[in-house]
Amino acid sequence: MHELSIATTLVNTLLDYQTKQEKIRKILEVYVRIGKLRAISIEQLAYSYDLLVNGTNLAGSKLVVEEIPAKINCPKCNFSDNFDMKGDSLHFAVPSLSCPRCETHLNLEGGEELQIAKIRVVGSAA
Amino acid sequence: MVRNPEIIVPTEGEVFDIELETDILKANGELALENHRILTEHGITAIDVMGSVGSGKTSLVKSMISTLKKHYRIAVIEGDVTTTIDADLIASENVPTVQVNTGKECHLDANLIKKALAKLELNTLDLIFIENVGNLICPAEFPLGSDKRLVVISVTEGPYMVVKHPMMFIEANTVAINKIDLSAAMNVDPSKLRNDILNINPRANVIPISCKNSVGIVETGKSLGLN
Repeated sequence: MHELSIATTLVNTLLDYQTKQEKIRKILEVYVRIGKLRAISIEQLAYSYDLLVNGTNLAGSKLVVEEIPAKINCPKCNFSDNFDMKGDSLHFAVPSLSCPRCETHLNLEGGEELQIAKIRVVGSAA
Repeated sequence: MVRNPEIIVPTEGEVFDIELETDILKANGELALENHRILTEHGITAIDVMGSVGSGKTSLVKSMISTLKKHYRIAVIEGDVTTTIDADLIASENVPTVQVNTGKECHLDANLIKKALAKLELNTLDLIFIENVGNLICPAEFPLGSDKRLVVISVTEGPYMVVKHPMMFIEANTVAINKIDLSAAMNVDPSKLRNDILNINPRANVIPISCKNSVGIVETGKSLGLN
């Protein structure tokens, strides 16, 4: 449900940016990075985005999502891996911060990204 | 020496990329840091309380207040979609409460907390409980500026409750398993829930509690550094 709040913030940020930049005629594509630890449904985010851009200067723009894995490493036995879950879907797997080798609490790096990486635009000479 | 910087302008219709590297929830993150700064300046500890509807968040907060209010000056921020039922319950403990109704939103955010903090006399407080909207997914995405996270679950939510909502437990400091007086009737083993929690987050303090029978209330406070 919170995808709509996040999409609203995203759309407002982009519309603000577009208004301030004279060199942009139109935003074509919006590249966002979302960490796999975020409880964000990309499908719902994309759906909300499409609803929200309707009738704005962003209408017709495309949302491109890159998922960023989290890394785990063990401070004790140096085990390290991507924090990928079995089946690679939050809906079917349980994540664990317990080291598979020695059961120590793993350190987590990344996976919490929620960023606009870049936008692809059509320029304006004006 | 005066240099005339060359200003590069796009030609009409040219397609190009602009790197932004902007956090989408930057505004919330900054407000959360600001809230945390304000709380720290006033020497206030803030505990974020999360869990499902009916897990016992309000009952636990109410019980903790009654054991802790000798030592701490406490206030509560109550988040709900609507109604003041929770704030009214807490008010019977004679501590300041602020009800935040989110309307249609499923979570509190840092801006709502900032407004709620403005309604409290921060100079007269040591401890604030922030009870989030009953929801196990959305609140995890919106930091508020608190110091610690307490997640409240209950045996009445069934044996698979933890594995079905793992993300809420990853950053929890303490997880209270409530209604253990009902575990036999529910056929739910609290020690199984405990193992599920520790598998996700080996650092979490897991405390079996019964708000009804005042079991585990003091231990829950202690696990959060509150004596």
